[in-house]
Amino acid sequence: MSPHGPRPTDRTWHDINSLGTPIEDYALLGDTRSAALVGPEGSIDWLCVPRFDGRPVFGRLVGGPAAGSFRLAPARPLGLASRRYRPESVTLETTWDTDAGPLTLTEGMVAEVSGDLLPSTMLVRRLTARDGPVEATITFDPRLGEQHQSPRVQYRDRDRVLVCTWPTTAIALKTNSAVRVQPGLPQTVTVSPDRPFTCVLAVADREPLTYVDHDAAWEALQRDELRWQAWCRDIDPTIPHRDMVTRSLLTLRLLTYSPSGAPVAAPTTSLPEVVGGIRNWDYRYAWPRDASIGIAAFLGVGKHEEARAFLAWLLSATRLDRPRLPVLLTLHGKHPAPERELKNWAGYADSLPVRLGNGAADQHQLDGYGWVLDAAWLLTQAGHRLYSETWRTMAGFADNVAARWRQPDAGIWEVRADTTHHVHSKLMAWLALDRALLLAGHHRASPGRMRRWTAARAELREEIASCGFDPERGTYTRSYGSPDVDAALLILPKLGFEPICSPRVSGTIDAIVHDLDAGPPLLYRYPPRHDGLPGIEGAFLPCSFWLVEALAKSRRVVEATSLFDDLIALASPVGLYAEEMDPLTHHHLGNFPQALTHAALVQAALALRDAGAR
Amino acid sequence: MDWAGWALFGLLATTVLTALMISAQLGGLSRLDLPLILGTVATPDPDRARVAGFGIHLVVGQVFALGYAACFALLGEASWWLGGLLGALHGSLALTVLIPLLVGIHPRMASNRAGPRSTAVLEPPGLLGLNYGAQTPLITFTAHVGYGVALGLLLGAR
Repeated sequence: MSPHGPRPTDRTWHDINSLGTPIEDYALLGDTRSAALVGPEGSIDWLCVPRFDGRPVFGRLVGGPAAGSFRLAPARPLGLASRRYRPESVTLETTWDTDAGPLTLTEGMVAEVSGDLLPSTMLVRRLTARDGPVEATITFDPRLGEQHQSPRVQYRDRDRVLVCTWPTTAIALKTNSAVRVQPGLPQTVTVSPDRPFTCVLAVADREPLTYVDHDAAWEALQRDELRWQAWCRDIDPTIPHRDMVTRSLLTLRLLTYSPSGAPVAAPTTSLPEVVGGIRNWDYRYAWPRDASIGIAAFLGVGKHEEARAFLAWLLSATRLDRPRLPVLLTLHGKHPAPERELKNWAGYADSLPVRLGNGAADQHQLDGYGWVLDAAWLLTQAGHRLYSETWRTMAGFADNVAARWRQPDAGIWEVRADTTHHVHSKLMAWLALDRALLLAGHHRASPGRMRRWTAARAELREEIASCGFDPERGTYTRSYGSPDVDAALLILPKLGFEPICSPRVSGTIDAIVHDLDAGPPLLYRYPPRHDGLPGIEGAFLPCSFWLVEALAKSRRVVEATSLFDDLIALASPVGLYAEEMDPLTHHHLGNFPQALTHAALVQAALALRDAGAR
Repeated sequence: MDWAGWALFGLLATTVLTALMISAQLGGLSRLDLPLILGTVATPDPDRARVAGFGIHLVVGQVFALGYAACFALLGEASWWLGGLLGALHGSLALTVLIPLLVGIHPRMASNRAGPRSTAVLEPPGLLGLNYGAQTPLITFTAHVGYGVALGLLLGAR
């Protein structure tokens, strides 16, 4: 039982099930440009076009039925028989039992469309019957944008292609059946063992539509599957829970916007951190901090191209703001539009408001610099020499840290209250200067500049030790003079700020486990109710993976292994994680799937591998 | 046709255009970096690419200056406003055709259709170069008008 009293949700899961699909029951389909979430009943309830941060064409997830969905499932299912991604791929396979035998839905989005006349957003769904003819239902109801705008409907190719158009967007749905799909109306099709039913959804945004033959689309999906399998082949077989690490890496790659290399934090907006509450944020943006954590995760498994792509995005995206590091950016490196609330959107399980934009963009967060400079140092250690421009950028960030570290900031958790002196932020500022000095050993830096960095680093160390440490409890604290701890401090063992086995490090780990325990293996990120918002949010999943990493690096490998096993058991049925979790029911909370959680999982597994765990 | 004027003033006008673009970039108005974009056709190192790209841009600018000089010769007049008009046309063409088409031929520029296999590192410019910042269309257009005005003034003065 949590030491903090009642469960952190305001609504029971019986209510949620009556209102909608639990978050963790969704699976991710993606093409590295956009992503769809599909529920266990075969309903695609989320898809934005033409990019992650575009307008939803299926928005039922947070907009209710009026926001559109695309369902393909047996007409009379007896139950879900199995649901999984095909091994080392992103193709999803869902099988239902019916009284006429099993019916399987195989689906995915085609990622590689360059070089062929294929639309940049193409979703392929195929129903296959095994034993005999099975009746299935198709309900196709696209609604575009904030106003759930209905399309203008036309038919082509003897009614086999349904074309839905809006002023700048068009969708073609082509099937291999004679059935005339009508938007919003369920249609019945019969699927025979010798004749699968295939739907191809093609999206065009400010360009001509492409009608894709169902066989060509299916072949494109299969070619993609082979490419994903090849991509996974060189992942170290000795990593603990390699299958889950692979799923996390695939998820991270699916959430990386290929045209710019931007890693999107999650493909959704406003999935609630408290069901029925107001902690609903838009995560369809890229955080430089997350990009840096992603660099470490990809480098750790030898995926150097992906790591370099993240750094390339960082360089390009931050150009207009240097030497300031923005908190978050759009996929093309712009500042997000101001945060606003959508009218007439129902919210997930009545969790309102549904937001577009993210107000955290205007905050000052010191920790981001540390993550970015550490990532640059990791790349250097991996044998990649930074280009001169990259080094100049990093040096500019370090100058900015040396100049601004005395100012209070909003901290990693982006709490929308007054700024304060967060100990984690100061530690990351120390890390930024430390890594800049290490990088300076490989690049040119003036002696005066290095003296400034060295002096600031020494002052930071002294101030953190005197103001950010509670000698009575033997732990670093959340902020100067605060009695609270902060789970972000679990990164201490990997910074080099203190010897790994120092009593200050172990004291901090133990205090976090004690004070922020949300019922093993879960942790709150900070003491509940200490963020100025109503309600108590769930346990913060990346922190639990950081605890695994901290324990592994502190040579507490048995504890770390056991904790990691417990966390793996909490994954969604197809191996995904949200940002948070209800500590009592273990239902996932917040935007889904969450890149930070998956990056933390990979790093925890790597730490266990390096510590000798199997 | 003023061949000597074309040879010298084409170079000067292109330098003016490049300087305006770089100033806007350094001033935090746009991420469009023409020398970098052109130079990364030859090398992935940004610093070396800028040097190569500046050279390529001078050559391209010289080719465009030939068109301006030919227009002035045909019209029998070269003036700052005529150069400005041609610059406006040139800027519009660059934003709507030339920069977006780079995606199709640039080996290190991703397209909006890029997938996981893409190893390109430059993001696509997008409609009117807007992916490089909201002010990019205005900056690019103004710089090209400046190029035309400079050519019109210099060729008209001879």
